[in-house]
Amino acid sequence: MLELKNLDSGYDFLQVLWQVSFTVEKGEFVALIGPNGAGKSTTLRTITGLIKPMGGDILFNGESITNKSPHLISRMGISYVSEALNLFTDMSVQENLMMGAYAVKERETQLETLDYIFELFPRLKERNKQLAGTMSGGERKMLAIARGMMSNPTMMLVDEPSLGLQPNLTYDVFSALLELHKKGVTILLVEQNVNATLDITDRAYILEQGKIVMSGPSREMKANEHVQNAYMGI
Amino acid sequence: MAKKTSVGPITNMDLITRIKDNLPVVVVSIFSIALFILIGINGGAPQLFNVIVTGGMWALLATGLALVFGVMNIPHFAHGESFMVGAYVAYFVFTPVNKTFLASGSKFLLYLGPFIAIIAAGLAGCVLGVIIEKIVFAPLRHRTKEGWIMNAFLLTVGLSFILTNGTTLALGPNFRGIPRYFDVPSIEVMGAFIAVDRIVAAAIALVTIGILWFFLRRTKTGRAIRAVSQDETGAQLVGINLDYIQTLTFSLATAMAAISGASLLFMFQAYPTVGLTPLYFSWYVVMLVGLGNIAGAIVGGFIVALLQSGTQLFIGLSWQSVVPTVVMILVLIMAPSGIFGSEVKGIQEQ
Repeated sequence: MLELKNLDSGYDFLQVLWQVSFTVEKGEFVALIGPNGAGKSTTLRTITGLIKPMGGDILFNGESITNKSPHLISRMGISYVSEALNLFTDMSVQENLMMGAYAVKERETQLETLDYIFELFPRLKERNKQLAGTMSGGERKMLAIARGMMSNPTMMLVDEPSLGLQPNLTYDVFSALLELHKKGVTILLVEQNVNATLDITDRAYILEQGKIVMSGPSREMKANEHVQNAYMGI
Repeated sequence: MAKKTSVGPITNMDLITRIKDNLPVVVVSIFSIALFILIGINGGAPQLFNVIVTGGMWALLATGLALVFGVMNIPHFAHGESFMVGAYVAYFVFTPVNKTFLASGSKFLLYLGPFIAIIAAGLAGCVLGVIIEKIVFAPLRHRTKEGWIMNAFLLTVGLSFILTNGTTLALGPNFRGIPRYFDVPSIEVMGAFIAVDRIVAAAIALVTIGILWFFLRRTKTGRAIRAVSQDETGAQLVGINLDYIQTLTFSLATAMAAISGASLLFMFQAYPTVGLTPLYFSWYVVMLVGLGNIAGAIVGGFIVALLQSGTQLFIGLSWQSVVPTVVMILVLIMAPSGIFGSEVKGIQEQ
C-alpha cells in the first residue's frame, strides 16, 4: 500500500534520511522504531509532504506521491497524527473533529464518523464544547488521533502517541489504535515505548542514523539481542 | 476569553478571579463605556454617530489587517493603498453612473448609484488582492519561509510606494472627490441632523463586518481560514489547500479596505496618498488589541474611534492622532501583546 524507495530527505543542507526503503501492506500494523534523532518523524513528515524529499520515490497504492502538496496527500487517504498534535487550539473539540472531516463532502458521513469517534472516546463527547487549547495532554492526544480518524483514512501515520502520557492513558491510546486496526485501517506507528509497541504491531522496522538497519515480524524483533540491548534495557 | 468552562452557577469567587484574569479587558471596557457616556452627554447624538461611523470603518480596515497577519503573518503596510484604490474606483464608477442616472430622472436609480460604485470597488479590491498575492507573496512563500515576517513587511512597504507613485504618475496628484453620494436632506436622529451618506457608510461597515463574522464562524471555508491562522501544519494535514486559503484571505482583506475607501469617498476624497491616515489608524487598532485577533480588531476599531471623538471634544481637534497613539504606547508598556493578547501562529512557528 505504501512503498518508500531509496528515500533521501532532510532539512535544507542537513540530510537526515539516507536511502530509506520499506513497505507497508494493506491492513498491516507496522512499527518504526529507533533512537532519538534517527529520523523517524522526518520519515513521516516526508511521506505526508510537509518536507520535500531530496531523492527517491514514495508510492501510495502504486501512485507516486513524492512531490504532492500535503493537502492532496491527506485527501488521498493518508492521515498523519503529528508529535506536535497541531490542534486548532481556539476551536472546540467538536469543531476540531469537524475540521478533521474537512475533505469529506457528505454531511451524513461526517456525522456518522463523529458518532463512532464519540463512542470510541467517550471523554471527547463529554468535552465537546471545550476549547482544544485548554485540555490536558492526554485528552489532546486523544483529540489529535480522533481528528486524524475523521477523514476516514485508509492509512494512518501516528507519531509518538505515548510521549508524555501516564501509563494508563498510554494504554487507552494503544487500545484505540488496535481498535482502529481491527476496523481495517493500515497503521504506521512511530514509538519510543518499544516493548508495548512490539506487542501490538505485526511487523517492525528499525531506523538508526537515518538508515533502516533491521526489519521483521514484531515477535521475532522482540527476541532479537540487538533490540533487547538497545531499546528494552534488558 | 474565559479560561475555564465552569459547570455550576458563577459564584462570587469565580467572578473575582475572572476579573483578575482579564484585567486589561475589564479596565478597557469600563473606560470605553464611561467615555461613550461622556461623549453622549457633551456632544450629543452627532458625536455618538461619528463614533459609530469612524469606528465601523477602522474596524473594517483593522479586521483586514488582523486577517492578513493571522493567516499569512504579513504585517501589511500597503493596506492604505487598497483603501486608495477603492476610493478611486468608486469615484470613476460613481461619476459617470450618476450622470446617466440623473439624466434618466429615476429616483430609484439615483439611490442605486452609490451602491453600484461601492460594490465595484469591493470587486476591484478582490481582484487586486488576488493579483498582489499571486505576483508578490506566493513566489516568496514558495521559495523560503526564513525571515518571512521581515521580508513580507519590506515587500508591503515597497508595494505601497509603487501603488502610490504609480497612481500619481497615471492620474496626477489632484484630489478627485464628490460632495455627497445621496443628494437628499439630512435625516433627524435623536434631535440631530445626520447626513444620509454617513448613515449608509456606518450601515455598510456594520453589515460587512457582520457578513465576515458569519463567514468565518459558520461556513466551511471560513472555518478553514481560522484553522490556518491557528495551526498551519494542522490545516494542511486535514486537507486544507493552503495556497487557496491564503489567496482568498488576502483578497478578502483588500476588498474590505477598498469597500471602506469607497464608502468614505465623500469624506476623504480620492488622491494618491489618501490611504495613509486610515493605514495608521488601523495599525493603532491592531497593535492596541493584539496582532491577528479578529474579534479584538472589531472592538478595537470602536475604541480608537471613541478616543478620537473624546479627544476632539475634550482636548482639541489637533490632538486627534496624538492621544490614541499615547494610549497605544501605554497599553503596550503594560500589556505587550495588546489588550486581548492572542497567540499568533503559522509561518513564524515553523
